[in-house]
Amino acid sequence: MMTAVNPTFKFIAILVPGVLLSFVYDVFTPLAYLTFLIVVTFTLSDISFKKWIRLFAPFALFALGFGWTAALYTNEAFSGGTVLFEFWVMKLTVGGLQTGLSITFRSLCFFAMSLLFIFTTDTTKFMMSLIHQCKVPPKIAYGIIAGYRFLPVFQHELQILRKAHQIRGMRRLKGIKGKLTQFQRYSIPLLANGIRKAERVAIAMESKGFTGNRERTYYHRMTVIKRDWLFLAMMVGVLFIVALLSYQLGYLKIFSKKM
Amino acid sequence: MKTKQYESQEAALISVENFSFAYESIDDPLLIDLNFTLHHDEVTLLMGASGSGKSTVSLCLNGLYPEAVEGESNGCITFSGKDITKFPSGMLNQHIGIVFQDPETQFCMIHVEDELAFTLENLQTPPAQMAGMITEALKLVGMESYKHSKLHELSGGEKQKIALASVLLSEPELLILDEATVNLDPASTREFVQLVKAIQEKQQISVLIIDHQADEWLQFTDRLLLLGKEGRLMADEHPDRLFTAKKALLKKEGVFLPKKYDNSPLFTRSMQPIPPAAKNILTVEGINFNRKNKSILNGVDLEIRGGEFISIVGRNGSGKSTLLEIMAGILEPAGGQVLMHGKPLQLWQESELRQKMGFVFQNPEHQFITDTVYDEIVFGMKLNDYPEEVIQRSSSFLLEQFQLSEHKFQNPFSLSGGQKRRLSVATALDDTPDILLFDEPTFGQDAYTTHRLMEMILDLKERGIAIVFVTHDMELASLSDRILVLHDGMIAFSDQPKNLWMQGDLLKKARLRLPYHRENPASREEVHL
Repeated sequence: MMTAVNPTFKFIAILVPGVLLSFVYDVFTPLAYLTFLIVVTFTLSDISFKKWIRLFAPFALFALGFGWTAALYTNEAFSGGTVLFEFWVMKLTVGGLQTGLSITFRSLCFFAMSLLFIFTTDTTKFMMSLIHQCKVPPKIAYGIIAGYRFLPVFQHELQILRKAHQIRGMRRLKGIKGKLTQFQRYSIPLLANGIRKAERVAIAMESKGFTGNRERTYYHRMTVIKRDWLFLAMMVGVLFIVALLSYQLGYLKIFSKKM
Repeated sequence: MKTKQYESQEAALISVENFSFAYESIDDPLLIDLNFTLHHDEVTLLMGASGSGKSTVSLCLNGLYPEAVEGESNGCITFSGKDITKFPSGMLNQHIGIVFQDPETQFCMIHVEDELAFTLENLQTPPAQMAGMITEALKLVGMESYKHSKLHELSGGEKQKIALASVLLSEPELLILDEATVNLDPASTREFVQLVKAIQEKQQISVLIIDHQADEWLQFTDRLLLLGKEGRLMADEHPDRLFTAKKALLKKEGVFLPKKYDNSPLFTRSMQPIPPAAKNILTVEGINFNRKNKSILNGVDLEIRGGEFISIVGRNGSGKSTLLEIMAGILEPAGGQVLMHGKPLQLWQESELRQKMGFVFQNPEHQFITDTVYDEIVFGMKLNDYPEEVIQRSSSFLLEQFQLSEHKFQNPFSLSGGQKRRLSVATALDDTPDILLFDEPTFGQDAYTTHRLMEMILDLKERGIAIVFVTHDMELASLSDRILVLHDGMIAFSDQPKNLWMQGDLLKKARLRLPYHRENPASREEVHL
């Protein structure tokens, strides 16, 4: 059902909680919201767990490291409380640990929401919905779809260039200067080819009668129905409920200020 | 071939009057004073050397040029009697559809269905009718089961069929095919031509075909326009008359004569047999290669001797280029090894290996790494610290031999297609290699360049250099000492060309075809090759 939600609404539904979450500095609120996000991921969409965990697990490690650094080097306002342990220049306080964990869970929330969006959204439909709901000009939206098709092409071109340079013995350029020259050698043909290809696509689009103006019909008409509002309300609403609960339990912290 | 008479002016679909076009200033035009008319229900072939401006003509006809490139034009083009500059933007394109050469750069959507819908959306077709029309169009080109496929997952031939379907949706009165088949293997090319023929006969639309190779199209071509190197129209006649009476003119303009009219063999010089004492240069042992869990090569063995000329053929995606790159040591195989002079490639010093082995890419631009033609040629020699006088001597020899002397200080990217190709070969010859590997060297080249290139390659072969080609061109493959057919990840055939022509089954499976004079033995009394 997540795939059917209007992409613009889905986007807002992760953007708003995302922004709100960045003000919260306690552990409970992001942890509870993360639990909710994971439940949503596996009940409301058909993302396979294997595929999800393969992306989520490495990021979780990264988030832990990130949180650990934050825990050790939090600024004065956050790092109060008992000293848990001290080693050489490292000093871990309760306040620091809390902030670190909060940051870890918060970044995991951001990542879980991004995955939720990426896995359930079709690029074409997202662009169409931007045209219909956000009044983005077709020229830009269709341009983005065409550009999106280019990503694998660029990667392929870079591989070929590497091989071509190897054939000519380019690998032998050493040192920073050599690396710099190498970068220059790659970037010019890559850019030249990119521009040439973009031009061809533009010509092909125009030759099919594309003018970029709004006088056109749409195969996918993206509409907004009650379900989309409900989804948005749910995503934002749950965050408020979680925050309220957290407040009741005495955890909630906005920046360094305990509520 | 059809024969029609066009007497009345009413039959004119497009007329071009005193039309000139320039990318920069009209004082130095690419197209000069063109005058011709395209009629309803008529198939016209436009030929000319590479760089003569054939594609530019097609983009001028549908009004995209000169605006799109900020060029300048003179004279007048009318569509159904109306000046094309008077059409509101986007309107003329509904009457003229173009299928372009490069399958990668003519789509803007991700799925087949959406790409077709894109045309209909531009036409402001009511959405309720779209699904039905899309299915119809896919049926017309025989691709109905691909409606929900992603475009980048299709083969080149399939992409071109989708491009054709998306153009036909606007029910154009003129269909332009701008080298639409150059990227396709022989069987896909033939399929595409048959498809266009069937559609033309059914819908009686006008078709303008731009191609270096006229052979496949001749069966239903009414007229031939020849665009000269200077950008003037050199001939406008029935193909039969042009190809018989004006052979010399066509040759001069660098146009391939269709084999039907060309009794001379591709090369008159006799091929040197490989000396029996020739040493093994490159040995390939049990090569495996997988891409995305799919086996591409599965146990390929191969030995190449000095002075041997080998062609590797096979369908699109059969792993020909992959094998060539593994042989060059720029792609790591999953299993097996490649030996050069009996020593595995990975044990070679990179610099030594590259002196003994040359590789020429399909797209010459990929291998240009300096700013001038001269630097490009001396690059390898400088890297290997050759003495100055050796560099001078070999560079002027190469510049001379490859007719690049007057472009010595030009940027490689600013050369014409044929010059770029010659430079790319020259750079591979800066040292004295033992083996040269070519990936589709004649791709998109005109008759003149192809001929020059083959002459040079045969010279190299006589000097004892081993030559390996990956190609779709069966005429070229028929010149080699040995043809390798790659099929299902294995070498399905490895022998003299003449023994391949008898294996009909294999040719069909590998989507190959016979060279023209094998296919039509009556066309030439004596088969030279």
